[in-house]
Amino acid sequence: MQLVAANDGEAFEVVLERHADAVFSLAYRMCGRHSLAEDVAQEAFLALWRNGARYDSARGSLRSWALRIAHHRAVDTLRRAGVHDRRRTSDDGIEERLQAPESTEGDAIANVVSREVRGVLDELPTEQRRVIELAYFGGFTQTEIASMLDTPLGTVKGRMRLGLEKLEAAFAAGRWSVHELA
Amino acid sequence: MSSREADFDCAQRMDAAAYVLDAVEGLEPYREHLSICTTCQAEVAKLQLVVDRLPTTVPPAAAPQALLERVLATVRSEAELLRAAGSLADQPPSRPHRARSHRLSRAGARVAFAACVAVAAAIVINSGSSVRERVTPARVAASIPGAHVSLHQIDGRANLVVSGMPQAPLGKIYEVWLSRASGSLQPTDALFSVTSRGNGSVDVPASLHGVKEVMVTSEPLGGSSRPTSPPLIRIVLHA
Repeated sequence: MQLVAANDGEAFEVVLERHADAVFSLAYRMCGRHSLAEDVAQEAFLALWRNGARYDSARGSLRSWALRIAHHRAVDTLRRAGVHDRRRTSDDGIEERLQAPESTEGDAIANVVSREVRGVLDELPTEQRRVIELAYFGGFTQTEIASMLDTPLGTVKGRMRLGLEKLEAAFAAGRWSVHELA
Repeated sequence: MSSREADFDCAQRMDAAAYVLDAVEGLEPYREHLSICTTCQAEVAKLQLVVDRLPTTVPPAAAPQALLERVLATVRSEAELLRAAGSLADQPPSRPHRARSHRLSRAGARVAFAACVAVAAAIVINSGSSVRERVTPARVAASIPGAHVSLHQIDGRANLVVSGMPQAPLGKIYEVWLSRASGSLQPTDALFSVTSRGNGSVDVPASLHGVKEVMVTSEPLGGSSRPTSPPLIRIVLHA
């Protein structure tokens, strides 16, 4: 990443190759549309390229940083698109569902981690999981979520916090770290 | 709290979860609070690690090859541009500016941005010749944190290139101003809007000789003779 920070385009190709699928997958999960996901992923990677000097490995892996940037961009895109569009999961149709990348040993490990994280998430009380998913994957603000669920804002904040704290405790008890994948 | 200290009963600690989930409206007040509250800093750091794991639950999808090629084309172009501009960044334009005016529609901005890419390519091609480019980065207002703006001066022409810029509010357009060393503020007829992706460019239609700063404000459609809003973009040419 130091080479990327020094504007080394070839070094960035390596970064792109390693993290493109993860970034695009998150963008597609959030936006639900192929075209929007491409825009989001493109903006995220160009932001990564242009702000490489700001990457601080002490604050997480490069993949985590890339995914945070992609998430911010996707949220911005979803909020510009409006609440109505965000409730749609996809307008591309099932025929445009994308093929998963070729399976590798790394993917196999990632799949295990994915299942375990999904499992921990599924163990949360439904109302806590729901607010976390609406916020993180749906791009809704806490006020929007409170309105959608007809629930006091303070309750939504409490569910988010409790849910994340339970996940933190569960992850702390686990044997693996997502950062090992990056 | 007015100083950096821990407040274990901080009422805003509850907002840390919404913050790391990108679910807080109006981020700036909470960011300001974060800059002084070590309790919330610790809470955010802890919960951010949890949120960082959520993308692993997403079904995998392959990034389209066309997307990767577009990103790499831009990266290579910019890398070459930065390399070419690096040793020449402090050199002034070599010829007097040729005044031009452009009024960019939204579609026009797209065309102009494409033209800018072509200019970048030309610099790469001619990097060994007498073509000189000076790239000056801009300072952008805190209200447009994702914007990247730079002024490209090449062969006596100046072109303002923006990316990540929000659309001008309804009924408004961006206007370029020149602040001269004499203290006068000169309006230009360089008005521009940006694409849905926040990209755009506009030629600066006047000589930059004696110009201290190039600025951009948001103005009513048609432009203004005096600024009606604070500068969003400032490019200091001569301190």
